[in-house]
Amino acid sequence: MQRKQAVLQGLLLAGLLLPALAHAGWTRSWVIEWNEPAMYYGADSGVIDPGSDCPAGTNPEIDWVEVLVRAGYSRAEAEWLRDPANPTRSPRNGQNQMAFRGEGRANVYTHPETYPDPGLTGVSGDIGEGFDLDGDPGNGFVSPEGERGIDNAFYRTLGCWKTYRGPHRLSGGALTFNDAMRNGGWTMVIVASGEGDDERNDDNVRVGIYLSEDKLVKGGNGEIVADYTFRIQPHQVFEGIFAARTEGGVIHSTEPSPRVVLRDPSFTRELELLQARLRLTMQADGSLQGLIGGYRPWMPVYQGWVDARGPVIESLTWVELPGVYYALQRGADYSPPGSDGERTHISYALRVDAVPAFVMEPDASREVAQVRSYRDVAEEDNYKAPFAGYVVNGIVPDRSGKYYAGPDAVILPPQSGE
Amino acid sequence: MSKKFTRRSLLRGTLGGTAVCMGLPLLDVFLNSNASAYASGARLPVRFGTYFWGLGLTDTPAGGTRWVPATTGPGYEITPELKAIAAVKDKVSVFSGFRAIPEGRANLVHWSGHASILSGVAPTASGSFDEASFDTRVADALGGATRFKSVDIDASMSRTPVSYSTRSGKTFASPEVNPLGLYTRLFGAGFQDPNSDNWQPDPSIMLRQSVLSAVKEQRQALMSTVGQADRIKLDQFFSSVRDMENQLAVQLERPEKREACNPPVEPGELPRGASVDVVNENTRLMARLLAMGMACDQTRAFNFVHTSGASETYMAGNSKIYHQITHDEPTDAKLGYQPETSRLAEQVMEGFGAFLEELDAVPEGDGTLLDNTLVMAFSDTGYAKIHSIDNIPMFLAGGAGGRHRAGQHIHQPGEPVTRVSLTAMQLVDTPVGEFGRGTMKTARPVSEVMA
Repeated sequence: MQRKQAVLQGLLLAGLLLPALAHAGWTRSWVIEWNEPAMYYGADSGVIDPGSDCPAGTNPEIDWVEVLVRAGYSRAEAEWLRDPANPTRSPRNGQNQMAFRGEGRANVYTHPETYPDPGLTGVSGDIGEGFDLDGDPGNGFVSPEGERGIDNAFYRTLGCWKTYRGPHRLSGGALTFNDAMRNGGWTMVIVASGEGDDERNDDNVRVGIYLSEDKLVKGGNGEIVADYTFRIQPHQVFEGIFAARTEGGVIHSTEPSPRVVLRDPSFTRELELLQARLRLTMQADGSLQGLIGGYRPWMPVYQGWVDARGPVIESLTWVELPGVYYALQRGADYSPPGSDGERTHISYALRVDAVPAFVMEPDASREVAQVRSYRDVAEEDNYKAPFAGYVVNGIVPDRSGKYYAGPDAVILPPQSGE
Repeated sequence: MSKKFTRRSLLRGTLGGTAVCMGLPLLDVFLNSNASAYASGARLPVRFGTYFWGLGLTDTPAGGTRWVPATTGPGYEITPELKAIAAVKDKVSVFSGFRAIPEGRANLVHWSGHASILSGVAPTASGSFDEASFDTRVADALGGATRFKSVDIDASMSRTPVSYSTRSGKTFASPEVNPLGLYTRLFGAGFQDPNSDNWQPDPSIMLRQSVLSAVKEQRQALMSTVGQADRIKLDQFFSSVRDMENQLAVQLERPEKREACNPPVEPGELPRGASVDVVNENTRLMARLLAMGMACDQTRAFNFVHTSGASETYMAGNSKIYHQITHDEPTDAKLGYQPETSRLAEQVMEGFGAFLEELDAVPEGDGTLLDNTLVMAFSDTGYAKIHSIDNIPMFLAGGAGGRHRAGQHIHQPGEPVTRVSLTAMQLVDTPVGEFGRGTMKTARPVSEVMA
């Protein structure tokens, strides 16, 4: 607490001493009211129907009895494991024994390599949203506006997964995570500042994306209300600074930002983007819409789903998590400089919708006048994952010990008289 | 009085020349420093209860609904998921658009919604409330003259008993979980038929009451010798003792005759199982017992759980549970909603319909027991697929002794759920002028439904 006060006092002092140096020609600010992975939807309606993106529709619902039989369980065992009356099947946390279907009944969530790749049908369409991250127009999707070379391997890999698929703002995943954000789960603000006289056409713009501890405010119609005030929360992890320009009200990054970290609308929490770009359009009503993209590490994506309770995610979203693991591994398309060449990252784009907001310095002394980094004044990140200590190796162990799951678990209940 | 009390101390007195005593709870002071309208002309009583079911009703992402009537005010139309209440529709008000406001706290899935409705504030943690549930206030106001201040019932057949009624926010009531248990509680040992011509005070009750009176002097002495923490513990303890005294006193008075009271026969055991048909049958049987328990004036307050927040119920023969279906079923492009989810919601609502029918089947005065009761029914979510706490379905059912202008649809998008809770409290004359904390604090009941 004392450190926080000292930091805030320092910021205030800096603000008092530097206004002349730091004054921008213009500043605009917004709060993100919706964000979701940019998954172009190629069907006419619904969320699972066949379309140009996924000609067979979303990946279909899985017959878990057959999956378990293929993994070596007897049919009677498999059917009992999936029976709602089975007390080992928790209505909240799923059937833990689902984890143990790898070779030698290894846990497939922590050791997906012990399980044969079950496959995950990816996007086969040509249209995709995002950025030409590798500078090769011959490689990638064509954007809806006709730009070639769009790199979004995340979409190509997972775009037919039911969780991600659907029209703008209507996929199951987007609805779920944005509802959490809009109910106060987290807040991110965007500030753009320029030195010219025309905010819509300025060659020297900086864009900052920051966390705020102030919560979004819903109006009576359930939509996020514009023009509320948010203080920047300096954070060691979450921050993104972009060099940009504006052209006709569109903010383009002018060079890749080496590394930015946004709050991911998913169980992963951290959306780390290397070689990050943005393209955001200032709308006539004051709102901001567009894309932020780059290369993100794919393993945390997989781990996020595992940590959200593997049996639950598999049943609810119609995937086998080892299939997601293998698909991300196959789809990865980037090795950071200095690495051993393994493709640890995957091209990605995030759709962003934001409404006008007042964004203040961390001490709320004044509105932010110029984009800059606050990482050096951030407190230590003491984040604790929502399922930490609760989920162990992708499952929630039964604390009573009555419903043990594991490689050596006895599956069928004893017959009466035994 | 300088007596030193220890953990083995008993409060002692004499009764008819015989020594009597009473044990005490574990107090800090015992630990070392390391311790951690009838014939008489009386009005018919008004009853109050909550009815909870899990997983809300069906909304659609595009804003459509399977439960919210299109018209507001009196004479609303029956939507597909309200079919089960059609028979008693004129006794039920529907509240739509109301929401829980977490105010920066996370939406704790399958918890924040009903915790907000009952306690008036979004909870900080799953499994506890930050305030007492408001039903306890109502029970305090209504339940002083009955054998049980409140009765808690869980018809869900869940693996662990479910109750959302709490005085401390930390510990929840222990509900009756099957018809036999409920019957035994209401009509087993200690039940006195109010219509019996041979009523006599029960000697065992007289003895118990006398024991409590006999130790009164020492109770007061003990209170003066302990620290603040122990005084709080003792106050809670003696409050429960006073409740017991009141209950015993009630049982020592000749009860008013109750025309509607017709003690039921002991029910048999039901098969255990959480399939929705079994849960609905359990609901009907337990509602019937509860209704007769209220007709016999054993209690005037109750909390009834049909299914828990993350409901365990399922359609018999289906390998997927309702909870899973709400999340994994896609919205049908042509229908515009989740068809299987909606079908299950309709079945779950059949439980509520059955519950109300049982209360409405007991004649009382010029009407029915339901006319002299107010049931506040609600769920934990709105659109369950995403755990939304907007547009949580809420209902007020029953006449509340003529106070409830029932049969209306109230649609107030964005208003806090606490307004409905406050309305319920005021409809049964609970002395409360406001309810809730922060943004959900309100002093505005929904006056349209108040006569």
